[in-house]
Amino acid sequence: MSFTHLHVSTAFSAHYGVSWPEELAAAAAGDGATALACTDRDGLYGTVKHLLACMAAGLDPIVGVDLAVFDDDGDLRTQVGGRVIVLAHGNNNGAGYRALCRLISDGHARTTGKAGGAVPVAVTRAELASRTLHPETLKPVLTVLIGPDSDVGRAMGGRRYLRPRTLFKRWLDAMPPGTVAAEVVSQLSPPGEPFSTAHAVRMLKLAAEHGVPAVLSNAVRYVAEDGAATADVLDSARTLKSLPELSAAPQLQPNGQGWLKSAAQMLQLGKEIMHAAGYGAADLKNLMAQTEALADRCRIDPVADMGWKQPVVPEASVIGIAGDALVELTQRCEAGISKRFPGITGKPAEELRSRLGHELRIIDSLGFAAYFLTVAEVSRMILDMGVRAAARGSGASSLVNYLIDVSQVNPLEHDLIFERFLSRDRATLPDIDIDVESAERHNVYRRIFERFGSERVTLMSMQNGYRARGAVRDAGLALGMEEGEIGDIAKQLWRFSARNFREALEEKPELKEFAGRVGQRDFSENQQLDLLVDLTERLDRLPRHISMHPCGVILGDATLLDRTPVQPSGLGLPMSQFDKHDMDPMGMLKLDVLGVRMQSAMAFAVREVIRLHPSKAEVVAAGAHPPGPDGTGPDYISPDGKINLNAVPLDDEPTYELIRSTHTLGCFQIESPGQRELIGKLAPREFNDLIIDISLFRPGPMKSDMVRPFLEHRHGFAPEVYPHPDLKPVLKETHGVTVFHEQILKTFDVMTGCGLARADEFRRALGNEVLEGKVEEFFRKEARSRGYSPQVVDKVWGTLKAFGSFGFCKAHGAAFAVPTYQSAWLKTHHPEAFLAGLWEHDPGMYPKRLLVAEARRLGIPILPLDINRSQAEYRVERVATGPDRGKLGIRLSLNGIYGLSGTELKRIVAGQPYDSLADLRARSRLSKPSIQRLAQLGAFDSLHRAAGGTANRADLVQHLQTLQSRPQRKGIDVIEGQLSLPLGDVELKNLKAGLPAPTLVDTVRAELDLMAVDVSDHLMASHRPLLNRLGVTTADQLLGLRNGTEVLVAGVRVATQTPPMRGGRRVVFISIDDGTGCVDSVFFHEAQELAGPLLFGTRLLLIRGTTRRTGPRGISISASMAWDLSRTETLPFPVPASGIPEHREPEPPGPLDGISRNLAITGLGG
Amino acid sequence: MGMFSESVDVVCAPSGQPLELDWAGRHYTVCAEPVRWYGRRQWWAEEQRAPLGSGPGLVDHEIWRVQVRRTDSAEPDSLTLDLTRHVGSGRWRLLRIHDGLLPVRKPESA
Repeated sequence: MSFTHLHVSTAFSAHYGVSWPEELAAAAAGDGATALACTDRDGLYGTVKHLLACMAAGLDPIVGVDLAVFDDDGDLRTQVGGRVIVLAHGNNNGAGYRALCRLISDGHARTTGKAGGAVPVAVTRAELASRTLHPETLKPVLTVLIGPDSDVGRAMGGRRYLRPRTLFKRWLDAMPPGTVAAEVVSQLSPPGEPFSTAHAVRMLKLAAEHGVPAVLSNAVRYVAEDGAATADVLDSARTLKSLPELSAAPQLQPNGQGWLKSAAQMLQLGKEIMHAAGYGAADLKNLMAQTEALADRCRIDPVADMGWKQPVVPEASVIGIAGDALVELTQRCEAGISKRFPGITGKPAEELRSRLGHELRIIDSLGFAAYFLTVAEVSRMILDMGVRAAARGSGASSLVNYLIDVSQVNPLEHDLIFERFLSRDRATLPDIDIDVESAERHNVYRRIFERFGSERVTLMSMQNGYRARGAVRDAGLALGMEEGEIGDIAKQLWRFSARNFREALEEKPELKEFAGRVGQRDFSENQQLDLLVDLTERLDRLPRHISMHPCGVILGDATLLDRTPVQPSGLGLPMSQFDKHDMDPMGMLKLDVLGVRMQSAMAFAVREVIRLHPSKAEVVAAGAHPPGPDGTGPDYISPDGKINLNAVPLDDEPTYELIRSTHTLGCFQIESPGQRELIGKLAPREFNDLIIDISLFRPGPMKSDMVRPFLEHRHGFAPEVYPHPDLKPVLKETHGVTVFHEQILKTFDVMTGCGLARADEFRRALGNEVLEGKVEEFFRKEARSRGYSPQVVDKVWGTLKAFGSFGFCKAHGAAFAVPTYQSAWLKTHHPEAFLAGLWEHDPGMYPKRLLVAEARRLGIPILPLDINRSQAEYRVERVATGPDRGKLGIRLSLNGIYGLSGTELKRIVAGQPYDSLADLRARSRLSKPSIQRLAQLGAFDSLHRAAGGTANRADLVQHLQTLQSRPQRKGIDVIEGQLSLPLGDVELKNLKAGLPAPTLVDTVRAELDLMAVDVSDHLMASHRPLLNRLGVTTADQLLGLRNGTEVLVAGVRVATQTPPMRGGRRVVFISIDDGTGCVDSVFFHEAQELAGPLLFGTRLLLIRGTTRRTGPRGISISASMAWDLSRTETLPFPVPASGIPEHREPEPPGPLDGISRNLAITGLGG
Repeated sequence: MGMFSESVDVVCAPSGQPLELDWAGRHYTVCAEPVRWYGRRQWWAEEQRAPLGSGPGLVDHEIWRVQVRRTDSAEPDSLTLDLTRHVGSGRWRLLRIHDGLLPVRKPESA
């Protein structure tokens, strides 16, 4: 006998289900089941994974949902009567599945998509009823299970004995015949309580009384008993109540019996229920038979019902073509040839033609022409909006993409292989990713919805799972621990999976203190900490909620919303319940439109350049650009001064000089400490070097030590070695080291003659336990038969095996290298505009203050906040007075000041200029604290100077503080027609001087506190005397030192990274900024042990270590010990010759002292 | 009604249903069909650990409510007892004795 579970929540029922679809399917199949349902709460979040799991386990999938139903008697917008299970009938060409999708979308339609909305996810009974029948045949396509959590089931515990029957009859009255079944559940809870046998009996009798089929289920939340405790913790996380609170309520599950019981156990349960009901064996048989009959009706055929793996693209008419899509695509490619390759002839033309023909044949055989036209349409639409866009990813491998303007990389020039993107052997829709300006991303989404119609477009979602910090917080909440205490623990958890918490306690130095507390078992606190560790591990990876994917847009035809349920995203646009893993199985075409802040920053910089230099001649002069063909400057600068970044040649020597200097802070992809080190070693000379650099800086190559041999060969320290002369053409550009996917493909092809398409299939199989063996067998056999020696075959296979699974696709690297080059080009030629763009859009990995420090290092004046000159954006400005007169400086923006609201900001800018504080108050209606903060930041200094007062900033702040806040009288201050007398600011002029002026440290502290940026001076500057006493070396001096010199360095933390390393031992990289530049330090195991909690918890660091020369221009520190610079009593002051420690005054407070508000100051990251 | 946690020896039918028991030196026979359920435990307060894979018995325990009569005595009065079986050891403990004169109340969680 087998039993089919019809009510099963998977882990994708966020904060409810415990077990993964694969575990459930494997357990069901192991018990001899032939089918299994997935009925997640509120949606089909786990459905596609369920289908995959069922197929792998040899089960028929059943698809349904656990949905709340509004109470017909209550407020229909907010009050839920109960929850029901809705199952889709199968084998009806998708009619059941369609109805289910639409029903779920109905249930979400009224919600806001934001957390904590008042409207719950629920359907009305009328909506439910209307979806249960086939719209044409009027046959049932859904079955609704009325179970223990329905209004009927919930009423059974009440005092009104007849209430359940009344409610049950209402269901029968409202629903079409044949669409309702009673769900009988006993989780053997205490007699008379929900989920007790007594309630199951009543449900069974109600069904019998009304001639409705009854089915048996166990309302499963976990695959086995062990999951019950996890379910308790999830209940706590969902309700935001601790376990003791939930227990008292009582709102916990009645017991831990909601697991996927075996067929024998379910039969036994059925027996007990029948016995308690006084029914006999025939009734039991009937209950079990009805359960299986419903299961049979609901078996889903993934292909016929859900369109499994059948790609769907928008209708031709929608993308604006009348005829055949391939003909249209071919024509557009022809047009592209004349545009991209004007006047091409001879052999290159032949090669171009043959490549194009090859691509088009493959596209035709897969039927993807319409897909390419769709992507081209989106791409064209974005460019027409005037938004910067660049294709990335393997799409850059396609000549077609280059010709139809989807990609900006010429695949012929960089030797990119089409098969890496698409081949006959790969029937899945390829990914084309488009990077756009981050600030324009949402507008782009809206335009796509408008262009294709909201019935064909939806955003993709993503599942957010528990990671260590969130898990420890929710575990702590469940145990009723204090928030502060949990917060302290959570802060120390640094990027490891929660699953390994206990292991991490033993290994990680920063957790030593916590581990010690867990270890002491004498105190009751430690029982709690021990449990905290266990519960944290239980929560690991479980989905918490779905959110809008940062870039995925799903495009389909008019049936899209029959194939995926949608719900509002935070953005207001609808979002699919499917994530990226579900796209391919569901045949969904996903376009990644990724917002890239660097694109926004570069667009901003180009706009600033044209604003400051509104003609070609001025831009050429300002940027020191070459004279160009006719002596007036290069073609990529238009007469009005607009720079066409995409047209800038990729061979600008000053740009490569900047890159080689490793002063690449702010440059796309090459600003991280590790990349600066690699750039220093590699010393790029041309664009291909950048592609290689970006491809090398990946976890795989870094982990497997590909970098060192590559560099040795590149610089000629070691001779290049090729496993076989045949492979020389393949590996030459990387000096014999396999770096790119493309090289793997060619290696397979050269040595086995398998063709590039199969080669890509082989590449994908590498690293797969099952398939890799077969690939190896084929490779060895074919290579041997072609006469390669066993040694060569062994060696090459070793390389393929090791690098194949994680090497990098050259097309990706090439696509990335374009913005890398462009950003470095801007930094070289227009650094002020570029830095202003960086400050405005904050694209990088560092806190903004480091990029401000970079401006200071470059000698670019940082212009203070000024109530009349500062705008809502950073602005480049010609300095009018003072020592920097004539230079370009960057004026601070009013945006991003703590406490200043968006509307205040708008009013300030709208009312500029102001002639007095009174004027400002009257017209901008700023709040008193905002005025005070602006005064603290010096925004009124210029007004103050103009008024000729003798007081200082401190006096002004104090004056503003003591002012009574007078009620605003609107409309009285200015009488129309009356001109204000130019009296100057009497208030400022008459301000009494009295207080000492704020020190530089005070000023910098205020800047850090309110803007997270040190403007007036570098925040380390005031620590200089202390550092001198300690004998600290500054960043700019390091390069002059010998390799292996012991030094002390100090600075403010700007970055902390723990990249994966060869051998699996953790290495911590900490970069600090001391005002003269960045010092990158590396902490190996021993240094981590010594530094302990300082590793991740300290803002100002003193580090002892030895210099490590990394290249002609690169040097870093191998740390041996670290101190917290703000705890001066612990610092290693040199002992004077007398042997008696000198008496020291306590250090005056530094700029960071007392600031706890803003973590964005330092690079502690998340 | 009182709360206890005393060890008892129980003889069960193959289905796991208690038939007879020895308690405090006396022998009792189950004289009516027992009721069985699973009751919650406040595991977060009672347990030191709750690691993944700890298996059944953490969140709930099996409770049998039995009506028993002295085997070796003619006493007609029966007693109602709540028994629990520990999942790990299989040992039985007495949880509650219900006073026959009081109405049977909803069991409190143990």
